[in-house]
Amino acid sequence: MCDHHDKLRSNNRDLQGIEKQWDRREFFKKTSLGLGAMALGSLLQSEKLWSAVNPVADPNNSFNSFTKNKLGLPHHLPRAKRIVYLFQSGGPSQLDLFDYKPKLKDMFGQDLPDSIRAGQRLTGMSADQTAFPIAASTLNFKQYGESRAWVSDAMPYLSEVVDDLCFIKGMHTDAINHDPAITFFQTGSQQPGRPSIGSWISYGLGSDNDNLPTFISLVSKNGSGQPLYSRLWGNGFLPTEHQGVQFRSGKDPVLYLGDPENYDGNDRRQMLDYLKKLNGMAYDAFGDPEINARIAQYEMAYRMQTSVPEVTDTSDEPDYIFDMYGPDSRNPGTYAANCLMARKLLEKDVKFVQLYHQGWDQHGNCPGGVKYQSKNTDQGTAALIKDLKQRGMLEDTLVVWGGEFGRTVYSQGQLTETNYGRDHHPKAFTMFMAGAGVKPGFTYGETDDFGYNIIKDPVHTHDFQATLLHLFGIDHERLTFKHQGRRYRLTDVHGDVVKDILV
Amino acid sequence: MESSVPDFILFLGRFHPLVVHLPIGFLIFAFMFELYGRWKKDSSVSIGIEFALLAGALSAAVACVLGYMLSLGGEYEKAMLDTHFWFGIATTLVTFSAWSIRSGKLKIPKLRGLKSNMAGLTLVVVLVSITGHYGGNLTHGSDYLVKYAPFGRKEKVVLPPIDKLEDAAVYDYLVNPILDAKCTSCHNSSKKKGGLSLQDSMAIKKGGKNGEAFIAGNVAKSEMMRRVMLDPHHEDYMPPEGKTPLTDEEKSILSFWIEKANADFKAKLADVETPEEIASIASNMLGLEDVTGKSGIPLPKVGLVNGEILEDIVGAGFKVRELIFESGLYEVVLPPHYIDSKNGDDLDGKLEKLLPMKDNIIWLSLKDNDVQDRHLKTIGQFVNLQKVELEKNPITDLGIAEITGIQSITGLNLYQTKITASSFDNFIKMKGLERVYAWGTAITEDEVARFAAKQNRPTIIMGM
Repeated sequence: MCDHHDKLRSNNRDLQGIEKQWDRREFFKKTSLGLGAMALGSLLQSEKLWSAVNPVADPNNSFNSFTKNKLGLPHHLPRAKRIVYLFQSGGPSQLDLFDYKPKLKDMFGQDLPDSIRAGQRLTGMSADQTAFPIAASTLNFKQYGESRAWVSDAMPYLSEVVDDLCFIKGMHTDAINHDPAITFFQTGSQQPGRPSIGSWISYGLGSDNDNLPTFISLVSKNGSGQPLYSRLWGNGFLPTEHQGVQFRSGKDPVLYLGDPENYDGNDRRQMLDYLKKLNGMAYDAFGDPEINARIAQYEMAYRMQTSVPEVTDTSDEPDYIFDMYGPDSRNPGTYAANCLMARKLLEKDVKFVQLYHQGWDQHGNCPGGVKYQSKNTDQGTAALIKDLKQRGMLEDTLVVWGGEFGRTVYSQGQLTETNYGRDHHPKAFTMFMAGAGVKPGFTYGETDDFGYNIIKDPVHTHDFQATLLHLFGIDHERLTFKHQGRRYRLTDVHGDVVKDILV
Repeated sequence: MESSVPDFILFLGRFHPLVVHLPIGFLIFAFMFELYGRWKKDSSVSIGIEFALLAGALSAAVACVLGYMLSLGGEYEKAMLDTHFWFGIATTLVTFSAWSIRSGKLKIPKLRGLKSNMAGLTLVVVLVSITGHYGGNLTHGSDYLVKYAPFGRKEKVVLPPIDKLEDAAVYDYLVNPILDAKCTSCHNSSKKKGGLSLQDSMAIKKGGKNGEAFIAGNVAKSEMMRRVMLDPHHEDYMPPEGKTPLTDEEKSILSFWIEKANADFKAKLADVETPEEIASIASNMLGLEDVTGKSGIPLPKVGLVNGEILEDIVGAGFKVRELIFESGLYEVVLPPHYIDSKNGDDLDGKLEKLLPMKDNIIWLSLKDNDVQDRHLKTIGQFVNLQKVELEKNPITDLGIAEITGIQSITGLNLYQTKITASSFDNFIKMKGLERVYAWGTAITEDEVARFAAKQNRPTIIMGM
């Protein structure tokens, strides 16, 4: 299982004592456990095999690994090469943005019929309300583009690009509260611990740009609300090099990339080479794939010293690009600036860029809140789609916009002529996609007159995930990882590809 | 007739396939003991032979009774059933005789010793084999035993190979192979489960004891489809538990045949409006070039690329990625700024290196690499390209003319190149071209609008 002569041997007396103890353990491990050790050996061997998916992890592996995917991927011809997922955290109100329900105007203030709610569970925040008064949106809706898609006046910029969008109005999910719902969307499970979509894609398809992480997440600084956790872009049980790397929202997206004062960095390569050698020995001795991940991350950080300043430098962007993304785009860390950054990252073939914008949780003051959130995001989203399109990148870049659930048709708390709140609603909400292999100018699915239940073409979170993987050439049932005795997949045991929205 | 048989009788009858193996075992065991006794001149085994014969005779009698009960279900072909029936009875009777002779209860003076026993036992073994064979044919179908035999394999009706999907008769080429693989082991002319045989068109039209197998043009009302589509745990689900269920693709083909082809046994794909999905499944089944691919994109059939060629290409700085595992179809990318005006001549050599795999490249990206018109001449030979990124290169209309021969290109990125509206004619020549990205070129919005008014393809996409 390992070569003893490669082992680190200390010339420090104390450490030698510890090494002796290690040796005793090793002895038991390798002799008295006999067969177990052999089995373990083969297990670790297979781990090594897995980690070789990413050529960066093992630069010495054979040439073929560069062109032959170890997992047998893609299963079919991909449509998408990369994706930007604009996650609208909090649960944007579909009823105030896209899902236009004109009949509600006449039902203003009436109690939501029981036949519509049908005993559906509510959150603790509105479950004890004595009445569930219907709140029609106070925002004005209009149809736009050749596709005649309904968009409210909260999103004037987005209404210009509706012919590039594919609205899915019959989204539904299992979870009713933020954290489980976001975790469910990003990892396929409400409980933490599973890899996120980006990690699965990184694990399955590897990197297209060796100098930048395959999976980058950006959280905009001008949204606030329910907290986000790094596990949402975590690798779960997949090898660590597949975790999303968060770029900070600010001037310096990755800290400590610059050289400290009085250090020119000239011998860093040498230092890293030696460190790699040491880590390599440790890997030979213990076979822990995390060591390989660490080697890969040191190397990545080294390459990022040049690649990150290059990609985060927006000085060569012309003014009209900034103007398109809006004034916020000159303020690093805002949603608009992150959209621009996302485009730059995608241009460098970063496979998965995950944006988060918080604050879409309008329990109270829904009309005002939706307008405020839209003001911060609308122009950036629309500009990103336009920008990708004019560069020809929408051809193979998938854009996804959506939150973790929708919002209720009834008002949470006081309903007035001009104001209302909306509680969480997992049973029906709207998302949109654009680009790579998704039908442009298309609306899929339909909700009832209350926007409460789906009456046509429902799309479950797992269906969405299956479709996303499908666009990357992956059969969601065949991308699996064995962990704790069973094979896991992003969609667990669910999910059907929504073929109807594919070109 | 079936209804008059009590369920309990049928229940017992189903034990027939279990019990029949007992006499087979006993009798062959007796025969082997006899041979052993003769060979070793050991008469002590004779008590064993006698016992085995008795046990064989009794179990054979039980098997006969159970077999008769099973036959009352009426799911088997009459003629073959009769043969099996009479051979079974004969085996039982002969075994009883053999036991009688052996045990001395029946004395035939002329046939003493070796001859009588060997003759009787040989006859018993022959009979049990024949009975067993017929029984097997009833259960598994008459071609079960020799289907994979290395000798005298009966060539099944060989369908003439076809090159074009449209020529395929829906029933012969698509439906029948599915029925053959998944249904006819229980629904054939000799074993008609539920009275239904799916062996040939005549039998299929006849239906089973629950009526017609399908209603032409109506999938929902077709019993066969209803059962196939059920939840797998449903009692009526077909194929029954333990057999391989139909795949989604197979179900779509059957539905397509009943619904769209009106269950016509002669209709060819050309005669029927064929959705893309069906065409794709059909091409897969027939091993034809998949005209749509799984993502709805036609894919060329190419060979795999030699590892040394790939190594050479990667060595030249290209990034190579196989687009479908083991398909030999590749995306090739030259990272931007790899070539600039200083090493511009290198590009010629690099592109030459791609030529050995020119048919295998379907996505090509050379953006921002000082690609000149003369390089497009080389690229013009890459006849299977579908997506080409040439943006930010000093290409002119002359260059575009070099690649008009590639009919498979659907997306062409020419943003920030030196092309003008004169290239429009060349775009039209490229029959597959759907989208051209032309932002940042000399082409104006007006020109695009005028072009779009006359032509519905390709869409020329501009920017701000």
